[in-house]
Order: sequence, then structure tokens, then C-alpha cells
Amino acid sequence: MTDRILLIEDDVELGGRVRDRLVRDGFEVLWWQEGRRLVPGELPPVQLVILDLMLPGAYGLDILKDLRAAASEVPVLVLSARNDSADKIRALKLGADDYMTKPFWPDELTERVRARMRRPTLLRTDVLDVGVVRLDVAAQQVAVAGAPVELTAMEFAFVLALARRPGMPVSRAWLAEHVLADERDAAQRTLDVHVSRIRKKLGRADLIETVFGVGYKLMRRDP
Amino acid sequence: MKVRTRLVVTAMTAVVPAILAVMWLDARDRHAAAARGLERIALASMLEGGRAACERAPERWGGAPLGPPGGGPMPPPAGPPHGRPHDIDDDLGIGPGAGELAPPILWAYDRDLHAANRAAPAIDGPPDDGLWPGTDVATLIDMPWREGPCARILAIGSAPVRGRGAIVPRSWLWLVPPAAALALVLVAAGPIARRIRQLTRAVRDSAAVGFTAPVPVHGDDEVSELAGAFNAASREVLRLIDERDQRERALREYLANTTHDVMIPLTVLQSYLTTIHEQQAATAPISPDAIVHAMTEAHYIGALLHNLAATAALDAGAPRAAVPVDLGALVGRVLARHRPLARQRSVAIDGAVPEATVWLEGDVTLLEQAVNNVVYNAIKYNRPGGNVGITLDRIDGGQFRLRVVDDGLGIPEADLARLVERGYRSNAARTRAPEGQGLGLAIAFRVAAIHGCALRFAPSEYGGLQVDLIGDELVEHAATGSVPPERGIDAAS
Repeated sequence: MTDRILLIEDDVELGGRVRDRLVRDGFEVLWWQEGRRLVPGELPPVQLVILDLMLPGAYGLDILKDLRAAASEVPVLVLSARNDSADKIRALKLGADDYMTKPFWPDELTERVRARMRRPTLLRTDVLDVGVVRLDVAAQQVAVAGAPVELTAMEFAFVLALARRPGMPVSRAWLAEHVLADERDAAQRTLDVHVSRIRKKLGRADLIETVFGVGYKLMRRDP
Repeated sequence: MKVRTRLVVTAMTAVVPAILAVMWLDARDRHAAAARGLERIALASMLEGGRAACERAPERWGGAPLGPPGGGPMPPPAGPPHGRPHDIDDDLGIGPGAGELAPPILWAYDRDLHAANRAAPAIDGPPDDGLWPGTDVATLIDMPWREGPCARILAIGSAPVRGRGAIVPRSWLWLVPPAAALALVLVAAGPIARRIRQLTRAVRDSAAVGFTAPVPVHGDDEVSELAGAFNAASREVLRLIDERDQRERALREYLANTTHDVMIPLTVLQSYLTTIHEQQAATAPISPDAIVHAMTEAHYIGALLHNLAATAALDAGAPRAAVPVDLGALVGRVLARHRPLARQRSVAIDGAVPEATVWLEGDVTLLEQAVNNVVYNAIKYNRPGGNVGITLDRIDGGQFRLRVVDDGLGIPEADLARLVERGYRSNAARTRAPEGQGLGLAIAFRVAAIHGCALRFAPSEYGGLQVDLIGDELVEHAATGSVPPERGIDAAS
């Protein structure tokens, strides 16, 4: 099922661009060109609301208030030309989930929309699957494409740290402190040695990526 | 109403009714004393032959003043007990010589107040004294014999002419002390009134020069307190005016600078768009370079406007909203903002934040703008195939370190020192300097400073620049785990 997004934006040009972009990125878009106060039960079934703050008709924050008053849990991404802390704090207090200031790049919007729509997956905490990599936390075992891989306790801890947030880098400082239990700069340099050994053991070099200036991340790869 | 007039009016409203009341009491007592005297005279006169004369010819009796024995046309009742005109001062016990009574006149009535003598005034009861007891005194006396045409006698006389003597001293001398007190009050009010007038003049003079000259304060009474209060008030007014002027100046400067600074990249943008359009019209291959440049200029305009707004906020010294800011989410937003730009320039950008987020108390807009500027520079002064990495880590001593590293062009050691130096002297560098790093980094420095953070520049181990923002983590917030007031996206793409 396609995700539906309610876009409330009065500017025809900007609204049109945003709608086209979101449609191109695979969303279904319902576009209101003016603000209107919401009555409980009147909100169309959408998975996300993109709300411009300065609207003719009804002020954006009032619409947000209506939404939350109607006990709607739909994520709201607020758009505003005003880069003002008081506005942000007010919007977030009223239950906005994110705040984006204009101008923005279309892909920035898509990224923020996707981040908001990402549904919490029901994670089994004892077994983690990241693409071809499966970690059995209780048994401290790793398998790549079904084939078990022998790792030391430290190496397992390293892979587990990355697997908890697949695709997101984990910093070298964090890994040195939490995996190597050694905060010295020298320990950070030994990380590379450990990583190359782990890569070899996993059998694929593309599973653990080095992120420039940051650390490492575990990628979700197909067999 | 002037102070003196007010004092006089106030004194009068208190003193005059009091004097009137005392005078009234005096008049009443005097009147009562005169009535008692009349009664005694009338009774004595009747007992000493008056009754007989009256009952003998009641239709002609009465009406004549009681004179000395032998005087008067009427059968003279026996004269007053004394050989001289009656002096009521005897009754008052004040002493002789106060004032003489006119001889009283008597009229006779029977028990039912019918007078045999037609000349007698008709009465139906004891005479009324009226509101203000005057000098005329009339009293109705029941004779001990209680019958006949002369059973009741109306005696008419007068109280002493001079209006004092019962309570109020006879001499007007008693008015001297209150009058003197009143005069003293008026005299004492003089200097006060004069000082208030002087203060008024001084305040007007001070107002004429825009409250820049203080009002002189002499002495230590209420008037000097008033002068002091006025000085304090004008200082406060001046401070507010100054604050407003500063805000206004900042706003005007902001508008002027914005207009100027936006026009330049806008012109560059138009130029690139024209190039693209011309290439497209000529069906020539559109140069990717022109597109990237156009996008860069567009991004620059946005960043510039945010930076100018941040500068205006910093210059105005406006109170900032200080709330716990989720630095992990902030890094996520900065990454999301700059990924498109980095992609256009073929620069790889990524970042890592700890799972348990780091909180910092501060202004979310300014902090984000500061980090935006550092990251923007790392992308801008890079080359295709370059890298930018952002990390947020906890370091020793309850501190956090937000690090931005790149392997770009870097900055020579000497220029780095100059950049840092200029960063501190913020306003000197708000134009698009050749390096273009003036305003953005100046803001980063100022924002770090007002948040009690350090902003450190160093050559990165990868050949580019390494910028560290180091500050104290807001521990209580993380510990209590209260609802974050500021949520953002995850650092993931």
C-alpha cells in the first residue's frame, strides 16, 4: 500500500514542486492549498502530515493543535520559512515531530519524510538480522548467509554494536571505549586491525564499511 | 491645588467646625444660665408682691420691664433682689462685669396658658430656643400656687450681648495659639513648596536634554527621595531607549546587509541559469559544472539568510530560548540538509551519534546554524571525491565533542590562526571574503562562546580541517530522562 501524505502548503509553486517530488518518490499526496481547522474525525487517513506554518485561513499551529486534540498520532513535519527557536519549541511542544526550515533541497525533504515514516520494526532482541548477517545474541554466534562464523568475544561485540543500528555509522571513539574498553587514541588505531580480521572472517569485504572520519557501519546486503 | 492652599483648606475644614461647635456649646450654656437667672428674678418678683398686683388686675398686669423699685408705669413688681441691674455672671460664676441684662419683662397666664392681658403673647408651651441659642431668653415659670390668672409666668429677657463667657474665654486671645500654629504650618510649607517647584524645573530641564542630565538631589527628605526616584526612572527609560535603538540599528543593518549580500549570489545564480538555458537552446550538452554551481549558489543564498538572521539575533543581544537541545538529532538534521549539496559536489558525507543522545542547554536555531556553517565549509572547500565526517562522542569529564573532519583543501597554519582571530572579532568579517568563511565561522565562534563551548580548529589527519565543538553535557536532563522537548530525525539516511 502506498503511503499517503497530507501536504498543507499555500504556495502553489512550492506545493506543486513538493507534491511532484513526493509522488515521484512513491508517495500518494493529498494537497490542501489553504489552512482549515480540523474537526475530529474529519482528518483524511494519511500516514504523515507536512504542515506549513504561515497559511491563509488557519494558522499552522492551530491545525497542529486540532490534530493533537483529536488524539491523532499521525507524524507531523512542520515547514517554515522562519528559522526561529521560539517557533520550533512551540511547534514541538504542540506535538510536531520534526521541523524543517526553508529553503530545503527536495531530497532533504524526502529523507526527512522517510525518517518520520519509518515504522518501528518489531525486533527480536535475541536474534538480529541485517541482510545476510544473522546475530544470535544469546549464543554469541554470527552467521553469514547461513554459514556460521567463528568470532572472538571482542569481535562479536564489535559486530553487534554495528548491527544494532544497521546502515548507521558508529564512531571509532565509541567502539574503542565500549568494545575495546580502551579509550586511548592508540586503541582507536588498532580498530582497523580488528576490522580487517573480522572482514576476513565474515568472508565478504562489503558488509562492514569504513566511514571517513567517523567509524564503521554494517550494511544490509543481499546474498 | 497648590500645597499652601491645600494646607489652608485642610486646616480650615478641621478648625472652623471645631470653633463653631465650641461657640455653640458656649452659647447654649450662656443661654441656659440666663434662663436660670430670669427664673430667679421672676420668682422673687412675684413673691415680693408681684402676685398680689397681678391677681388684682390681671388684664393689665405685665409687659413692662422690671425696673428698680418705684420705676415703671405698671404696678411695679419689686425690683430685682439687687440694687443694680442683674448680672448673670453671678449665675455663671465667672465674675462681675461681664455684661448687663436688659430688665426682664413678665407676662402672666393661667394654668391653661390663657393670658388675661390681651397684650401678652399667645403661647402654647414653653418657648423654643431655636437652633442657635441667641441673646433673647424666654422662659415659662410655674408659680408655686398653681392657680389663678397668674399661675404661670412668661419671663422674657436677654443673655449677655457679648457672645462668649460660658466656655470660650471672653477675650479673643484664645484664638492666638491656633492662628499661630496655622501660620507656622504655612511658613513651613513655603520651603517645601519651593523645593517641589525647583524639582519640577529640574525635571523639565532634564527632559529638555533627553533625560541625559540627572536632577540634582539635595537633603534627605521625601523631596530628595522623589528626585532620586526620578533619576532612577530616567536611567531605566534611557536604558530601554538604548536597547530599542540597538535593536533597531541591528534590524536596519540586517536589512541593508541582506539586500546587498543576497544580490551577489543571486546574480551569479542567474548567470549560471542563463548559461544552462543557452546550452539547452543550442542543443549543446549542458555542462554539469554550471548546474552544480547554480545549486551551490542557491544553497549559499539560503545559508546566508540564516546566517544574517543569526547575526542579527546575536547583535541584538535578545534573550535566547534556552531549552535542552538533542545534539544527536541536530547532527541528523545537519546531515540531511547537507547531503544533497555534498552529492552535487561528489563529496561523501556521513556521521555517527551515540545511541543515548547528548543534550546541551541552549538555543537550537543558533547551535544548528553554527554546526551548519562548519559542515558547509567542509563541503565547500573540498574537491570531488572528498569526504566529510561528523562524530558526536562523549569524552572525559562529562563533556561532549562534536567533530567535523574533512580531507579537503585545508587551511595553512598561519591562515588558521588568522581565521580564528577574525572569528573572535566577529563583525569585522561579515562580507563574502575571498575564502568565504568570514560570517559563517564568526557565527560558529560566537554561538560556541555564548553556550560556554570551545570551538577548536586543527589540521585534520586526512589533510583537511578538523573542527571540534567541545562543551559540557547537560547531565540532569539525560539522567531524568524527561520527555525531550526537541525531537528530530535519526542520523540515518
